[in-house]
Amino acid sequence: MSLLQINNLNVRFGDAHAVPVVDGLDLAVDAGEILAIVGESGSGKSVTMMALMGLIDAPGRITADALTFDGTDMLKLSGRQRRKVVGKDIAMVFQDPMTALNPSYTVGYQIEEVLRQHLGLKGKAARQRALELLKKVEIPAAESRLDAYPHQLSGGMSQRVAIAMAIAGEPKLLIADEPTTALDVTIQAQIMELLVNLQKERNMALILITHDLAVVAETAKRVCVMYAGQAVEVGQVPELFDVPAHPYSEALLAAIPEHSIGAERLATLPGIVPGRYDRPDGCLLSPRCPYVQDNCRRQRPPLDPQAHSLVRCFYPLNQEVA
Amino acid sequence: MTSPIPKPVTPASPVDQSLLYPSPYKEFWHAFAQNKGAVMGLAFMCLVVFCALFAPWVAPHNPSEQYRDFLLTPPVWLEGGTWQFILGTDELGRDLLSRLIQGARLSLLIGLSSVVMSLIPGILLGLLAGFFPNFIGPSIMRLMDVMLALPSLLLAVAIVAILGPGLINTVIAIAIVSLPSYVRLTRAAVMGELNRDYVTAARLAGAGLPRLMFVTVLPNCMAPLIVQATLSFSSAILDAAALGFLGLGVQPPTPEWGTMLASARDYIERAWWVVSLPGLTILLSVLAINLMGDGLRDALDPKLKNAA
Amino acid sequence: MAVVLTARELTRHYEVSRGLFKGHALVRALNGVSFELEAGKTLAVVGESGCGKSTLARALTLIEEPSSGSLQIDGTEVKGASKSERKQLRRDVQMVFQSPYASLNPRQKIGDQLAEPLLINTSLSKAERREKVQKMMEQVGLRPEHYQRYPHMFSGGQRQRIALARAMMLQPKVLVADEPTSALDVSIQAQVLNLFMDLQKEFNTAYVFISHNLAVVRHVADQVLVMYLGRPAEMGPKADIYEKPLHPYTQALLSATPAIHPDPLKPKIRIVGELPNPLNPPDGCAFHKRCPYATERCGVEVPAFRQVGTRQVACHYAEQFL
Repeated sequence: MSLLQINNLNVRFGDAHAVPVVDGLDLAVDAGEILAIVGESGSGKSVTMMALMGLIDAPGRITADALTFDGTDMLKLSGRQRRKVVGKDIAMVFQDPMTALNPSYTVGYQIEEVLRQHLGLKGKAARQRALELLKKVEIPAAESRLDAYPHQLSGGMSQRVAIAMAIAGEPKLLIADEPTTALDVTIQAQIMELLVNLQKERNMALILITHDLAVVAETAKRVCVMYAGQAVEVGQVPELFDVPAHPYSEALLAAIPEHSIGAERLATLPGIVPGRYDRPDGCLLSPRCPYVQDNCRRQRPPLDPQAHSLVRCFYPLNQEVA
Repeated sequence: MTSPIPKPVTPASPVDQSLLYPSPYKEFWHAFAQNKGAVMGLAFMCLVVFCALFAPWVAPHNPSEQYRDFLLTPPVWLEGGTWQFILGTDELGRDLLSRLIQGARLSLLIGLSSVVMSLIPGILLGLLAGFFPNFIGPSIMRLMDVMLALPSLLLAVAIVAILGPGLINTVIAIAIVSLPSYVRLTRAAVMGELNRDYVTAARLAGAGLPRLMFVTVLPNCMAPLIVQATLSFSSAILDAAALGFLGLGVQPPTPEWGTMLASARDYIERAWWVVSLPGLTILLSVLAINLMGDGLRDALDPKLKNAA
Repeated sequence: MAVVLTARELTRHYEVSRGLFKGHALVRALNGVSFELEAGKTLAVVGESGCGKSTLARALTLIEEPSSGSLQIDGTEVKGASKSERKQLRRDVQMVFQSPYASLNPRQKIGDQLAEPLLINTSLSKAERREKVQKMMEQVGLRPEHYQRYPHMFSGGQRQRIALARAMMLQPKVLVADEPTSALDVSIQAQVLNLFMDLQKEFNTAYVFISHNLAVVRHVADQVLVMYLGRPAEMGPKADIYEKPLHPYTQALLSATPAIHPDPLKPKIRIVGELPNPLNPPDGCAFHKRCPYATERCGVEVPAFRQVGTRQVACHYAEQFL
């Protein structure tokens, strides 16, 4: 029984005929697993997680065959019930630590708020626990930082505080949405190491949303590649990177400068991700795919199991003949 | 082994997103039209403008003509009213409707000219204050602070008292009183924009000060200014009415909504329509303009956010 | 190849007031940077936030005067240049900024923005300007009808193309690119980087390419300059720096950069702590508090930026890493 089970998730902004931002997504995450969701802007990766957390307001509409977390149907929860789960059993760390923290309250207050809300701790007990959490996320001079305001901290420190707030509720699932994109590369390495250590220690499931394939290669076990709202490939690391099955995965990998050392030009796909007004009838990648065939333009391929992964393509690449 | 990416012979023609975007004016109208109140306000103001432009043809009577036989006639829906004078007549037998229509001219004229007279110097001073924050800026802002410290109506009364009553002096007084808010707004907007990369890029392209001020920065500061101008319009009408009420503004027999209120003070009990109808017109016009201003702000700001 | 940009001991200090009674502190944002750049070559400036690369960019593009040191653009000394010389210098150095959303004037049509440098600096007629603009637009992959459009109608990648086109309109000798692709998706980044390289070949422009992304730098640079807290740490040919970094900071940067196929032979250097406060820099070598190899000497003596083999390094023990 997976910890998180998502079947056929659709998120639309507008009426029932509006173009979906997330289109028929299937995803499962087990306890203690690290899953990476990779995609570029417009792929719907962040919206998927916001839908799970119940952070999508009208005119957004969420429909799904199943959206269960730890046995609970997330779609049927009332606001109050959802607040008991979100922030405690499911926690999220956002991209920009400077805006994720409330600038008007001290760091200690904000961590204690989580403890008060979800664990019922008060007063000295809360402060003590907050201090422990800060030490856990390796903030130097944690005692004095409890009374610091967010603007007094650097980007890396603020992100550590955000992580402390996230793990305060002892979550079973931690969602990290581009947690290191806004940080310097040495700080990025520190934060990623911290996240992985915390995950191992607490046996938390970790969903890592990112556009940086290299971070995925070093951290995750499974990866889901999204394009224009659909999952186009779900596979294991490092198999997906060694032998990508979907043309988009291949193109993403080829576009990374690391793969073109010594080459004059970087390999690119022409064109851009389809937006609201120009979604193709057939496969969403068909206008740009170098391997496109006639029926690709007319029909939408389903997500099918292949040798090492699930692929949404009529002609997956590099697959051994079954 | 991964197969190499074949070089596409002709790249699939990328669908052009920008062709699907409407022009900025259409976009603005679409956003503005979402606000029903704003559209109604706009409709009412169009009516007022129409009346003002075509007053001699729209008004049923000559506003200054006194019908001695019809002093203080009630409006048509009350007992004693006639269709000849739809909104009744005032104490000198002049048709109220015609005077209100004619008055629209003056109110719009006062509003427009006072806004223009304070907007242009206000923008210039604000630009200077924003571009030279070390010396000129603080001096200008302290002057504005002094002006803002005085209650606007009293300041207007004082100016008119010095210059003498009349239409032009009313406009000057109102313009001076609204100046500080434009200067402040412009300066704040300019200081916000000066740090943006595109201003640096314009400097790198060699733009001199005048070009930087008027071509690069000013168009990006217009949104709050337009909203403020709309709202000043309505407060100009109110100020003119107040000055007129005090006898310091436009002088009778020129029909202006405020002076009409003033001269009818004594007739509130006997003939309420002589007082109430001009008052109602002022109320509706100010309300309409404010609704429009709100709609403008909502329509202009989100676009700024998208563009940013 | 002709040398188009020469910097000697460029320094920029800021005075920061620390309150009513504490007097002024000196922030040494840039502390003695020297290099030479030839036409058609790329110097990559690498470092994390606070290293002084933005200050360097502002000094090179003449937005700010350096506090000391000399800068020569195409042979002309910047300090004490006459008015007409300054005008020419202005044309010789241009810049592309990091944020594609902030670097274009939202209220001006992009055709007008592209024509503006020509309008200000040349005496071409309107028709001639228009023709040049159309030609440049075609070169960067924009269509003729885009002339009339406003920036918010374009995607991030397209805006960077417009920004690049605007910078190249005057065919400058030097282009300073401040993290031009950091805000872009991987596949768009590849397209824009290809465009950068194409234009460099076409116009033989020298690039100063500022970035914190070492993978991108490896693709575009000829020479690499690594900076730390306003000082140069290491500078040399790209291949040497990547093969065998001599400065511990360079080693840490390379180690911290995630890779799809991590080299199992390269040791993972764990770097602790954060950038020191620029108002209170450490004595001796600025990096010694975080350096895994620091000795007593490092805390006392500032290392000189000296020649070691094919490059220059600011470390007392650089030879030990050869």
